[in-house]
Amino acid sequence: MKMADGIAILRRNKPGTKAKDFSRWPDEPFEEMDSTLAVQQYIQQQIRREPSNIAQILTPPDAQDEGVWKYEHLRQFCMELNGLAVRLQADCHPETCTQMTATEQWIFLCAAHKTPKECAAIDYTRHTLDGAACLLNSNKYFPSRVSIKETSVSKLGSVCRRVYRIFSHAYFHHRTIFDEFENQTFLCRRFTVFVTKYNLMSKDNLIVPILEEEAGTGESEA
Amino acid sequence: MQKMDANGNDNAESGEYSGENRTKYRIPRMKKVNLVEIASKRIKMDRERDYENRDAESLENRDLDFIYDDSDSPLNEISELYSYTEQPEFQLNVKAFEDLMEDAHLSPSWQKLSQDQQKSLILKWLDLLEVSKSESRMRAARCFLYLAQGCWAEQQSDEEQQQATRYNVMLLNECGVFFAFVDLLNINIENSVASISAQSKLAVSLADSTDLRIILSVLYIIVEVMRLSLNDGDENYKKQAEHFRSDLANATGEDVLSVQLLSMVTRFCSGSAPHFPMKKVLLLLWKVILLTLGGMSALKQLKAQYRKDAELPIIEEDTIEIAQMMRASSPPFSAVDLLVAQDNQQSSRRFRRSLIKQGSLDVTFALDFESSEQSENEDREEDSNNGMFAENADAPQTPSPRPETPEPPKAKGLPWMPKVRAKDLDNFLDNTRMKFVGFPLPGDRDTLIGLPEPIHEGVSVLKQHMYTSLAELQIQKEEVMAKSPFSVQEPEVPLTPAEILYQAMLPNLPQYVISLLKILLAAAPTSKAKTETINIMADVLPEEMPMTVVQSMKLGTDVNRHKEIIVKAVSGILLLLLKHFKINHVYQFEFMSQHLVFANCIPLVLKFFNQNITAYVRAKNVIPILDFPACVIGEQPELTVESLEIGDSQLYSWRNVFSCVNLLRILNKLTKWKHSRIMMLVVFKSAPILKRTLKVRHAMMQLYVLKLLKMQTKYLGRQWRKSNMKTMSAIYSKVRHRLNDDWAFGNDLDARPWDFQAEECALRGNVDRFNNRRYGNGPDSELKSTVDTSIQSVLGQQVELTEEFKQHYEVWLQQVLSVHVNWDELIDKAYL
Repeated sequence: MKMADGIAILRRNKPGTKAKDFSRWPDEPFEEMDSTLAVQQYIQQQIRREPSNIAQILTPPDAQDEGVWKYEHLRQFCMELNGLAVRLQADCHPETCTQMTATEQWIFLCAAHKTPKECAAIDYTRHTLDGAACLLNSNKYFPSRVSIKETSVSKLGSVCRRVYRIFSHAYFHHRTIFDEFENQTFLCRRFTVFVTKYNLMSKDNLIVPILEEEAGTGESEA
Repeated sequence: MQKMDANGNDNAESGEYSGENRTKYRIPRMKKVNLVEIASKRIKMDRERDYENRDAESLENRDLDFIYDDSDSPLNEISELYSYTEQPEFQLNVKAFEDLMEDAHLSPSWQKLSQDQQKSLILKWLDLLEVSKSESRMRAARCFLYLAQGCWAEQQSDEEQQQATRYNVMLLNECGVFFAFVDLLNINIENSVASISAQSKLAVSLADSTDLRIILSVLYIIVEVMRLSLNDGDENYKKQAEHFRSDLANATGEDVLSVQLLSMVTRFCSGSAPHFPMKKVLLLLWKVILLTLGGMSALKQLKAQYRKDAELPIIEEDTIEIAQMMRASSPPFSAVDLLVAQDNQQSSRRFRRSLIKQGSLDVTFALDFESSEQSENEDREEDSNNGMFAENADAPQTPSPRPETPEPPKAKGLPWMPKVRAKDLDNFLDNTRMKFVGFPLPGDRDTLIGLPEPIHEGVSVLKQHMYTSLAELQIQKEEVMAKSPFSVQEPEVPLTPAEILYQAMLPNLPQYVISLLKILLAAAPTSKAKTETINIMADVLPEEMPMTVVQSMKLGTDVNRHKEIIVKAVSGILLLLLKHFKINHVYQFEFMSQHLVFANCIPLVLKFFNQNITAYVRAKNVIPILDFPACVIGEQPELTVESLEIGDSQLYSWRNVFSCVNLLRILNKLTKWKHSRIMMLVVFKSAPILKRTLKVRHAMMQLYVLKLLKMQTKYLGRQWRKSNMKTMSAIYSKVRHRLNDDWAFGNDLDARPWDFQAEECALRGNVDRFNNRRYGNGPDSELKSTVDTSIQSVLGQQVELTEEFKQHYEVWLQQVLSVHVNWDELIDKAYL
């Protein structure tokens, strides 16, 4: 709240900002956000405030277009997932994890290529995140962040499906990293609630038993 | 009298009246009886006969009840996707579905699930499509195919099945199944194991393409259902279909599905992937183009739109509509009819006191007689054709094949408004000016000084009918741009679906065209299967050859049907592409058509028509009880020789007529106004082939044949014209007139044969320039690149001098230094 005394608050991380001061600016009510990136700003603000309060993070403001809401959340997921990918790089090597597996049964092809093929897990992670970033930033499918074409909304489902495999791989093969990351960010939990809430994935495919673990918190069926 | 006998004999085939006796008997009575009464009686009799005896012989004289359209009925279009040999695989689909449902601990009935459950299952199975084990992938794919097929095991009737298909397809599309399958298609195209095993085999069979066929079937069903939902169905479906269409049409680069499919076709033809199921690929390609670029109505709209944008008057005439209203030229029913008609003519002529002499009929008769004598040493066929095309407005026509539909309003006069090209008007003016004034006034279409009154009138009539086509405007624009490449800017090219497709096809367009034609050749009924380098039967032949008679009959029908469907798809693809490119930009069209011509499309199409075309049109290569969905819904009768024909009530083969019309239209498109190509028609002796094609009694088909005949009449010689007067008059009454066009007898200056090559080369040059300027980095863009003007860098360039120059370098120096040039003068006098 250091900058609160200034009249115009610049909510921006300037070059040279210390890590502890990163993104430390006062909250702004959603109604007052007037940029085209308001939704993203709002989501990030909610996450910063209380990353564990998933229900609140996923509650859209009134009269929010659902397509944009889903899109912005997925964007946010992909951005944050890069954090997990960076951690995985230390532990997940192409020699040890030669395939993108979760449980023994599911080995997946990497869809980032023109002809999908089997990539090592870490490559799959990188390719998929890059592919998702490309798609979500593509001018063709998402030319605007204020309104989103209906056909493009249908693309979100496939991104979710592919991105989720990163969670499942981390959970089943690099559990310590996963737990460490999850305790900090609650990302997998949030993602699971998100895709169930908006029916982007089939429940049967959500193989990381994250919600069952804490069924007591009462957010499982959001 | 003799001629009449000939006519009678002609019609004896129809089994109705065998000529002579009745003719003789009726003639005297004829004149007394009210003609109208006879005509109506005649029609009544015809109708009765139609209902009574529908055997093929009598059908020969009926107009084909064929309505040209973008595609056949939805049911047929879907059932043509599957060959009969694929039938056992339907059961595998339902099995895959049951297995996956069991995995999900659900009972295998799709329709009892709630929509949310269905969606959740679809999402779950979508995950399976990306699993690396190919068996799991294909099991999921089969399951999706079963859904797209409308869960037929749960349906009681065809209608239910169709509804379920539509519902499921919409659901699948919502979940993004289509594009998941496009990815899956990519995996399987690249599947080297399959192609290597197929290449090493002697006989590729159905089993080699199982996976690809599943994927293509799913894609095809989705595309087809979407295409149909664009035009009917409720608003919701329509909206979704519209989204789907724009999604598919706006893909770019290598992602364009049509281009992916075309490259499959080329790979198949190059022999590196003999297992590709070509029929399904081509059908899907055709439907994708039809969906993304649009069919006839879209073409019409586009044309009107572009003409409006170019400020040209919009023409109301629609070729297809008018041709649909026309009646087929037909052989007269019997000698009696001919007489009635002639009598009628005679009396009406007398009544109208027309300028024609009363004896004129005798003259025609004499002519006919003479010609039949002459043609005796010619082809027998020609002779019999001779009497056929008596296009007599007064003759009692065959009743319309649809008795309920009201008779089309009789057009007064000719069906078409005549047209004049600007070039024709200029020629006319030049000629008359040379004659009356003594010098031409190029580019002046208004000055009429010194010309006599009738010429004024002529010019005003020509102007009235002047028609400027979009193509002419586009060519003009191109010329201007070629003349001044710097000052005239290329206007921004709107990215229409056709433009996107052209750009994506451009790099490999020649190969695509050649491959398509190769397949057309292989599928043509006249070609010998064994001599072909490519085997298009791979996706119909089962692994084990049939053992019983019924089985081999079935396979025979299947093979023929397979070929017909391929011809249908290829002809549809080519025509659609040509039409859309033409409307988009004429040089895009010319580029493609030139490659078609270079790939010998013209003789190929002629070869196609050089068969018994009436038999082809009436071919019955269907087994209705084996068509999908009939083959899976309800009780299945045992397959016997008799049951093969159950439910087969069609009088002609829709797809064959469709292919014929398409091919004729392609031929027309290629040859229109192109003398060099018209000469090809002459050289390849197309006239007798085309004349035989006229036997098919369908007005639109005949129209396109007559057009082809009209353009080459000039070159066919006096003898041909003399012995084909009936055909000539059919041309006269059916094909659009070009004022001042002496098509039949003229010696057009344009028609001089010596510079055909030059014509084609000039066109080539223009097309290349167009392609380079718009899409390439050829010499044209080099011209526009910036010139290096910095002294430093220009002098810094290494210049390689020739040995010769180095040796005689001093001579050059002397030459240069001996003359004093004041370069400054250039600047002073502002030359630069």
